[in-house]
Amino acid sequence: MDIIKSSRDNLPVLQLKGRFDAHEVEPVNAWLAEHTGKGEARIIVNLEGMNFIDSTALSTLVRGLKNCRERNGDLHICSLQQPVRVIFELTRLDKAFDIFPTEEEAAKGF
Amino acid sequence: MRIAIVTTHPPSKGSLNEYAYHFVRFLKTKTEMVEEIILLLDELPEGQQYSPEQNQAQVPVRSVPCWQFNALDNSFRIRKAVREADPDIVLFNIQFASFGDKKVPATLGLLTPWLLKLDGQKVVVLLHNIMETVNLKSAGFGNNPILEAVIRLFGNIITRFILKADWVAVTIPKYVEILESKYGAQNVLLAPHGSFEEPTETAPSTMPGGKPTVMTFGKFGTYKTVDLLVEAHAVLLKKHPDMRLVIAGTDSPNAAGYLQGVRDRYSHVPNVEYTGYVAEGDVPRIFGEAWVVAFPYTSTTGSSGVLHQAGGYGKAVVLPNLGDFAELVLEEGYDAEFFEPTSADSLAASIAKVIDNPERQREIGLRNYAAANGLPITEVVDWYLIHFEELLKRK
Repeated sequence: MDIIKSSRDNLPVLQLKGRFDAHEVEPVNAWLAEHTGKGEARIIVNLEGMNFIDSTALSTLVRGLKNCRERNGDLHICSLQQPVRVIFELTRLDKAFDIFPTEEEAAKGF
Repeated sequence: MRIAIVTTHPPSKGSLNEYAYHFVRFLKTKTEMVEEIILLLDELPEGQQYSPEQNQAQVPVRSVPCWQFNALDNSFRIRKAVREADPDIVLFNIQFASFGDKKVPATLGLLTPWLLKLDGQKVVVLLHNIMETVNLKSAGFGNNPILEAVIRLFGNIITRFILKADWVAVTIPKYVEILESKYGAQNVLLAPHGSFEEPTETAPSTMPGGKPTVMTFGKFGTYKTVDLLVEAHAVLLKKHPDMRLVIAGTDSPNAAGYLQGVRDRYSHVPNVEYTGYVAEGDVPRIFGEAWVVAFPYTSTTGSSGVLHQAGGYGKAVVLPNLGDFAELVLEEGYDAEFFEPTSADSLAASIAKVIDNPERQREIGLRNYAAANGLPITEVVDWYLIHFEELLKRK
């Protein structure tokens, strides 16, 4: 999995590409810990290039979302591809996360 | 939020008590989101009582025994208990036979989520099995095809009532597909089962040493039977005369006297140990001594808590070649040797592939350990809390 760290409108953005599974969660956990442990945690996770996600990886995002909301922030997801969207729908996490078509809209959504 | 959970819970020996124990164990650590947990439990036999461990640093837990297996008035009593507790969310931890093994009390109990919804409660059902995948004969419900057809019809009707809940969570993707396609449900979600054990720094021993020990764990007599396993054990004794078979657990509430019958039928087979009820404190030893954990199931009623437990202890497993288990193994990263569910020779051959091959034993054990630790139940609890939070935002 490729991980690209950037920012948009002063919001930290994590872009994940490829396969996101139990073996790939550590660097994502570290990034989430860094950006959800202080201040009003508002972050964007861009999944444009992701074609697979397993339950452990989803759990990592759920934990990130929970940590953000405990700090009155949020974790916005954007650019879901169909195979990953199906998993979000199957688990109904599409109702729990705010999901946006593009990174720009995810940033404006805060 | 204040959460009421309709469930069994140790020391009750009702089905799903272990799942509830571990779910609550982690739910009560979520102090940032949960204010109180009210357990709406089945009543214990005379002389026993619930005594939930209270910890000042954790969410307070209150036990309210308010229903009985096979009682006809469970719906009424649970609704009354919910009214008195006035929770934000009611979670049901159930399967189709949770409220009884007799048709009328089982049916009436399963209407409770719908009745609570009519009362204006927010209701989530964690449904561990669905009627479409239960082998009624094996589960102790149907003895002739006409009766089975009638039960399935009622099962379909009850499923529609259960689906009146706000959310119905299931643990296998196929169940979501069935409930959506057959019933047109839009409120079903997939929630992973999760591992009961907390991840440890190092993997436990997949190779315990001592005598070769096959262990099976559960409540037996309906779709979990041990006859085939004892027969396979008899086959294996020819090559491994010191081999032990440990049958850990009790009769299913739906099959009182089953294990005594097995003892009587197979009294000529040596090295078979019956542990009876296994207290929480003895679980690590029982799993720790096992070379392989066997699942002599004739059908399945959902994702297996015992499989996740076996994974948590780094154990190799032998599983029946049944759809749900095969799916679970593939989707959650577990590994196993498979056997044909009606053949003792096939089961013996699968066990032999593990105990005669230490490398394979270790390989399966480590893979299952990794799979079980992939998603501990504490994280699954977070999924539920996120869904509860979303539900509470609705008008």
